[in-house]
Amino acid sequence: MTTFLAQRFLSMLLTALIVSVLVVLLVHTVPGNIVQQMLGQLGASSTEARATLEAYFGLDRPIHVQYLDWLGDLLRGSLGESWNQGTPVLELVLRAFWVSAELAVLSLLFALVVGCVFGIVAAILRDTVADLAIQTFNVLGLSLPAFWVGAMMLVVASNVFSWGPPFRYVGPLDNPGLNAQIMFLPMLALGLFNAAAISQFVRDLILGTVRRDFVRTATAKGLSRSVVYAKHVFRNILVPLTSFSGVIFIGILGGVVAIEAVFNLPGIGRLLLWALQTRDYPVVQGGIFLMAIVTLLVNLVVDILYAVFDPRITYA
Amino acid sequence: MTNRTPASRRHLLIRPLAVALTLLLALAPAFAQESQPLDQLYGAEPEGAQQGGEVVVGIVYEPPALDPVHQQADATTAITVLMYQGLAYTDWDGTIRPMLATSWSASEDGLTWTFDLREGVTFHNGDELTAADVKYSYDYIRSEDCGCAGSVYLNAVESIEVIDDFTVAFHLASRNSAILAGVADKLTAVFPEGYFDNEGAQARLNQTSVGTGPFMLDEFRPNQSIRLVRNPNYWQPGAPYLDAITFVSVPDGNSLLNGLRTGQIDLAQLARPQDVAQLEGVNGVSYQEQTSWVQKSLDLQAGGGATEDLAVRQAISLAVDKQEILQAAVQGYGQVIGLIPAGMQERWGAPLDELPMQGPNPERARQILTDAGYPDGVEVQITTIIGFDWMTPAAETLVSQLAEAGIRATIRRQDLGVWIDNWGARSFVDVTLNDWGTVPDPSLLLDAHFQMEPVGNDFRNWNNEEATELLAQAKQATDYDERYALYVEVQKMMAEDAITIPLFSSSIIAVERDRVNNYVQHPSGWYHGLIRTWVE
Repeated sequence: MTTFLAQRFLSMLLTALIVSVLVVLLVHTVPGNIVQQMLGQLGASSTEARATLEAYFGLDRPIHVQYLDWLGDLLRGSLGESWNQGTPVLELVLRAFWVSAELAVLSLLFALVVGCVFGIVAAILRDTVADLAIQTFNVLGLSLPAFWVGAMMLVVASNVFSWGPPFRYVGPLDNPGLNAQIMFLPMLALGLFNAAAISQFVRDLILGTVRRDFVRTATAKGLSRSVVYAKHVFRNILVPLTSFSGVIFIGILGGVVAIEAVFNLPGIGRLLLWALQTRDYPVVQGGIFLMAIVTLLVNLVVDILYAVFDPRITYA
Repeated sequence: MTNRTPASRRHLLIRPLAVALTLLLALAPAFAQESQPLDQLYGAEPEGAQQGGEVVVGIVYEPPALDPVHQQADATTAITVLMYQGLAYTDWDGTIRPMLATSWSASEDGLTWTFDLREGVTFHNGDELTAADVKYSYDYIRSEDCGCAGSVYLNAVESIEVIDDFTVAFHLASRNSAILAGVADKLTAVFPEGYFDNEGAQARLNQTSVGTGPFMLDEFRPNQSIRLVRNPNYWQPGAPYLDAITFVSVPDGNSLLNGLRTGQIDLAQLARPQDVAQLEGVNGVSYQEQTSWVQKSLDLQAGGGATEDLAVRQAISLAVDKQEILQAAVQGYGQVIGLIPAGMQERWGAPLDELPMQGPNPERARQILTDAGYPDGVEVQITTIIGFDWMTPAAETLVSQLAEAGIRATIRRQDLGVWIDNWGARSFVDVTLNDWGTVPDPSLLLDAHFQMEPVGNDFRNWNNEEATELLAQAKQATDYDERYALYVEVQKMMAEDAITIPLFSSSIIAVERDRVNNYVQHPSGWYHGLIRTWVE
């Protein structure tokens, strides 16, 4: 197991570094840099000002030198400083990441609970009214984009209940009550969409599994229906469900910009978009590097869970 | 010597800063400017004002950093004017008035400007303001070490001299009344002597402010909020009334409206003026409509492409129906303009009926094209910038207007950074929509844009020697009638050549909850008004 982990960590690092090279290249090909933004129209006329700023940010050096500089900082445990504000990138990015992570975890948990319940009920009560109702919910949930649902929720809340979530974000450790109010609607908006996905997925998985030989054998052995489901069917859907959950989690983290904008959450999506728009390269590079590491870690956790859920899988 | 157009906001394109100091100067032969009484600075003292309380302001555009001199974005200036001050400030009516200076005067030859400084002013760090700080600050801004956009405003300055502790003189290489632009609100501020000598000083501005203004920085959380607190040692007696202001970043226009409805946001300038209709019937809110100094325009490329041909540009100008575009873009919340923003029309604008090539006149447009050898019309590209809401409906309306004149237009959307890049390189294609913020000084508005290189930037490659010369004369002229005549002539030339087609000046709609009192929206969009605002 240790060799496995060691190998994985090494390959993760390598992958993340390849991603960082791609990001550097991409970000530098986009026209316009931070200097132009800082100087605006006047910048076009003041060549001295532009030269000073470009030297200050190191933009006058070739791309590979800039990248190696960044790499050097990385090896010393630093992601550099934001060009806009001078704050350490690691601090900025982590702070934003925890906000998005909280949202992703809450939404995923909500989606798993609701989705599994609905999926199981729909599978067990196949072809009944309940099944139909749940499948309708699934289709609706999947067709309505999460950010639109979120925006509608805000409009309804403010118009009908004269209520809105607090505008200034506080963390769950600072003020759990306020944090709950802030996270409630976005969690719902993202959660409903993913609950629909999980519900459909679980329903199909279960219906597929009950047809398998070992289930027929278990039923033929005389086990009660609930035992068959609990001991045999559910345990066999855990592995694909884990995989799916991992994908959803990464999807939420990566695609959460619109929700963050609608609900005013200072998450990683907004930070990266803002950094890109203002051409704050260290933040873009640092942020994406971190996201790459997180994605790879999630994949690793999913793989380890496979081994936990399925005794046939080992990493020797 | 050369006058450059002020820098742009990050999301807006041009912003001449200084207000027509020249307005006042032209009227006062002695070139002197008397200061306002302390209770008139930033507006008159309101009746019944109570001390204390906090206000939450929703902002759609967040400043990248709270640095008044290294960041030219308007989103930044809007907030830093509460913390940092210059020798002058721009009043609500567009006049430049003394702030940290109490008065100024120019020598007979116009080459030396002497400023008398206000006594008893302290910085947020406790230091007392003296002439040495003023010299240091403006020398720094115009130096290479700063890399500051505002250096262009101070191009004419040869040296700055400390006469005594409270008197400072600017020595110019050539006459330039717009020098006061360089010492007013934007891109300029007075810092304690030597502040930027320490490493990391710039970055520290995002944690601690070191200005002379009525508010100080408490906390800046990127993508979240900016909290300012009252400066207990502020030099102006009585002001400000608020204990604290929190600016919350709300990028989504609908969320902003929701916040106003529920009362979580006390004050906001709407992202789109027409959104005010959604607040109808909501209790506890009111709004004010302020004609801004912004102009939304079409800019045409004279250096290449389809619009290089004068006939094509003139045809475009004749095909445009500005009223229709105003309606489509912001549902009428604004004013159609000639060649000058609405707030400047009275003082500096050429009479609209004297301007050539004004539409809508699609038949004449077609005629011009046919005469010029385009019997089947012509194709042009229109560029809009992502993030500027009004541009899309405006461009679409424009396309149908141009079609009536036989001009087939296609729309292309561009990222702002890319747009700025192209603009700076003077290589934008055909027609682009543009968004100018401005303060009412014609020299700052026009010079950098329309004077040829190396004097100006000539972003549209107009290459017009006569206009360059006229603008230079206007900048140096001291008699108002003479300046007005020159600017009218230049405007007529701009219209005849259709090098730019300003469409309208939009209104700023500032919405406030009832508990907010005496907030008067400044036409620049900045938050000066908060200095005289009080809450129950």
